[in-house]
Amino acid sequence: MAKTYDYLFKLLLIGDSGVGKTCILFRFSEDAFNTTFISTIGIDFKIRTIELDNKKIKLQIWDTAGQERFRTITTAYYRGAMGIMLVYDITQEKSFENIKNWIRNIEENAAADVEKMLLGNKCELNDKRQVSKERGEQLAIEYGIKFMETSAKASINVEEAFLTLASDIKAKTEKRMEANNPPKGGHQLKLTEIRTKDSWLSRCSLL
Amino acid sequence: MDFANRNNTANKFVCPSDRQLALRAKLKAGWSSSKTNEPLRPEEQEAIISVIRRNEEIETAERQRVGRLVERVEKIKLHAVERGPNCCRLCGDTFGLLRPQRIICEDCRKSVCTKCSVDINIRYNNSERTREIWLCRICSETREMWKKSGAWFFKGLPNYDMPRSASATPMATPTGGGRAVQSCHGTPTRGARIKKLTIRVNDSSSSSSNASGQSEGEDELDGASSAKGNTSRETAAAVASAAAASRLQRDESFRLRAYGSIRSFIDGGERKLSNSFFFGRQQGQGPGQGQGQGQGQGHLLAGQDYDNVSMSNVSTVAQLRRESSFLRRSSVSSSWSFSDSSGSGNSATQSQQQQCPTSQHPHQQQQQHCRDPLLGWLEIAISYRESFHSLDCTMVRARDLPAMDAAGLADPYCKLNIITPEAHTKYTRWQRTKTVHKTRNPDFNETLQFVGVEPEELGNSLLYVALFDDDKYGHDFLGAAKVCLSTVHSTSQYRISVPLGVEDQYSNEAEMSQSWPNGKMLISLCYNTKRRALVVNVKQCINLLAMDNNGSSDPFVKLQLKPDAHKNKKHKTSVKWRTLNPIYNEEFYFEASPHDLNKEMLILTVWDKDLGKSNDFLGSLQLGAQSKGDRLQQWLDCIRLPDHFHEKWHCLAPDNPTH
Repeated sequence: MAKTYDYLFKLLLIGDSGVGKTCILFRFSEDAFNTTFISTIGIDFKIRTIELDNKKIKLQIWDTAGQERFRTITTAYYRGAMGIMLVYDITQEKSFENIKNWIRNIEENAAADVEKMLLGNKCELNDKRQVSKERGEQLAIEYGIKFMETSAKASINVEEAFLTLASDIKAKTEKRMEANNPPKGGHQLKLTEIRTKDSWLSRCSLL
Repeated sequence: MDFANRNNTANKFVCPSDRQLALRAKLKAGWSSSKTNEPLRPEEQEAIISVIRRNEEIETAERQRVGRLVERVEKIKLHAVERGPNCCRLCGDTFGLLRPQRIICEDCRKSVCTKCSVDINIRYNNSERTREIWLCRICSETREMWKKSGAWFFKGLPNYDMPRSASATPMATPTGGGRAVQSCHGTPTRGARIKKLTIRVNDSSSSSSNASGQSEGEDELDGASSAKGNTSRETAAAVASAAAASRLQRDESFRLRAYGSIRSFIDGGERKLSNSFFFGRQQGQGPGQGQGQGQGQGHLLAGQDYDNVSMSNVSTVAQLRRESSFLRRSSVSSSWSFSDSSGSGNSATQSQQQQCPTSQHPHQQQQQHCRDPLLGWLEIAISYRESFHSLDCTMVRARDLPAMDAAGLADPYCKLNIITPEAHTKYTRWQRTKTVHKTRNPDFNETLQFVGVEPEELGNSLLYVALFDDDKYGHDFLGAAKVCLSTVHSTSQYRISVPLGVEDQYSNEAEMSQSWPNGKMLISLCYNTKRRALVVNVKQCINLLAMDNNGSSDPFVKLQLKPDAHKNKKHKTSVKWRTLNPIYNEEFYFEASPHDLNKEMLILTVWDKDLGKSNDFLGSLQLGAQSKGDRLQQWLDCIRLPDHFHEKWHCLAPDNPTH
């Protein structure tokens, strides 16, 4: 029997090739770091179960290849994601500029109310910085999403970033389900049932 | 999918569409790389496939988890009493001053007691103020299920495996889960759902869904309600397509199309967006791509078709499945579309739009029946052969008939006659179909022929169809429909789905047309709470069989309770000499608890008293929780409303149950 959990959230990491998506995930799931660069082949995922407000949340985090040639495969996973981490490298201007393309990619492929978050990775390399923190913050405000600077190598903010995203999704769940819109669809009881006279057969259940 | 075929013909360069080019122009280096589309190497493919496999394990576990969540809610629903507005929906306690306080559930608006409900604090939109609302346990569990399964995000429950069917293959599981749901929904109240009849103008949409059903396999359509379930397959497709295609540029467009079409299945809410995206692709690609277009459009239409269904009722997979398979199986011109009243107004307008302008007649009928509880639907095909002056009526199928036994099933058959303009039945002998046993959704597929119908008669005559539940001890009315014959032409078959309405004079006539050779018996039942006993009053019998040489019988009735927990003795009435219509008015007591009665069966047998030789058997009647229709109703009424007599006529069956 698998470990029980209350929620399963599917998260997705996207961003240009070499910004450190895999390393962030590696840090979060295994709390380790590997300096050698191994390009991700297509897709990969890691699992980590966290606990928020006494609820066990299983995070299935999809790591995608940043390379264009895997784009077909990676975009297929956008739709199932409840949360997406957009990652750029603070030492590479290009990767930051491309964020808006990734955002567009999300808009085209992901679910409309997917939770997004912007991460500026490699923040331990302050001397090689090309993108200031303010610019990152500015972009995040522009898109109305949260922003954090992280470092997979120095283990800065990685844990926090994922926890923030997960709790945002959880909050959204609660808001969605506890607001005045009950689930629509089959598992809800139809309003008409009150008005219709109860058929005597419906009471067979009391037997 | 025929990737291989595509691959073979894929060896020429195709200019990217304007849209792609424009997109690329906006992007700077690192992003646009039209030239470096190398194929996936075998080891890369393997790596990806291994990831997909790993993901499948997670998906399976998740499906089982969601299945458990669903099962939990279904279990609670199953145990709900639903005794009416004055009792708690769940535990059945009545409300009152000194009794449990009544609470109206916020979601289902039904009354529940405080014990069976929970209160939660909800927040007003974006403000800090909270408000307390009450939910019954079913609704709170349903909300919980939606939260935990991710249904809130995907706007519908993802695929799930019911715990029982956990060992089944992933492809087969939606069926298993669906069936489980259906069985839980076994006995809905007659009017629980508002159904809309939609008649399609032409067959194109249903036949196109047909086509896509074949090309994509059933599960694609059925599983479409969940995005999650499809992701792995999608990627498999993408991997395959990438491997096959990335060698050459023109294949990029194909890949886009491939996942575009898959995506068009995924989410009802966003489908329009992705569809338009998909359309844009196709138009942009221009010539040379015709090959795949047919398939693509098939998907698209199927997607829209699915849309109709899912919009109106995202609910049970079972219904959805039934509907889609129903659509596929038959290329009929009409289809059902269920929509729950709480569902979006969207669906209502949609089905209204679909209503064919020429189908005024069924529309009228539908309006006429709107006030009555719907008793189900009947699909009929009528054709008239002028040369023979014969009217062929094919009873195709009926759906959602009322349940007649404790298991929520019925044994329906149809009786047909033609009603003349003078409002009389044309034939004294009613035509009758065979009985389809143990179903509320029978497929009759039986043609009955009325001979001697003049062409001019058609204009103002009605075809009358009454459905009955077949039982040894009487045939209970299930529903009836009238079809105007003026629209029937000699050349073509007229196919129509009609709602079934309530009993009327003709249905009584139809019922009476069946003779009961063994006669009838009037029985009155009462559960006496003081004596804790079932009181059986044998009132009278009529039209009994004549067994003696003098043309009459000497009838008496034997009574027996079986299986009997209290070891009551058998009873018998006095003998009424030389009569076929004896009046007894004799009361008998059977000691029994109401609980026992749920398992017991009252067996009444009528005998002809013969002196000097063995008695002749005249007829039998059984009443109990295993009975059907009126008998079941009388039995249940007797338990539910004790200390009152419940009187009903029943037919006698020719076989002896005690033998």
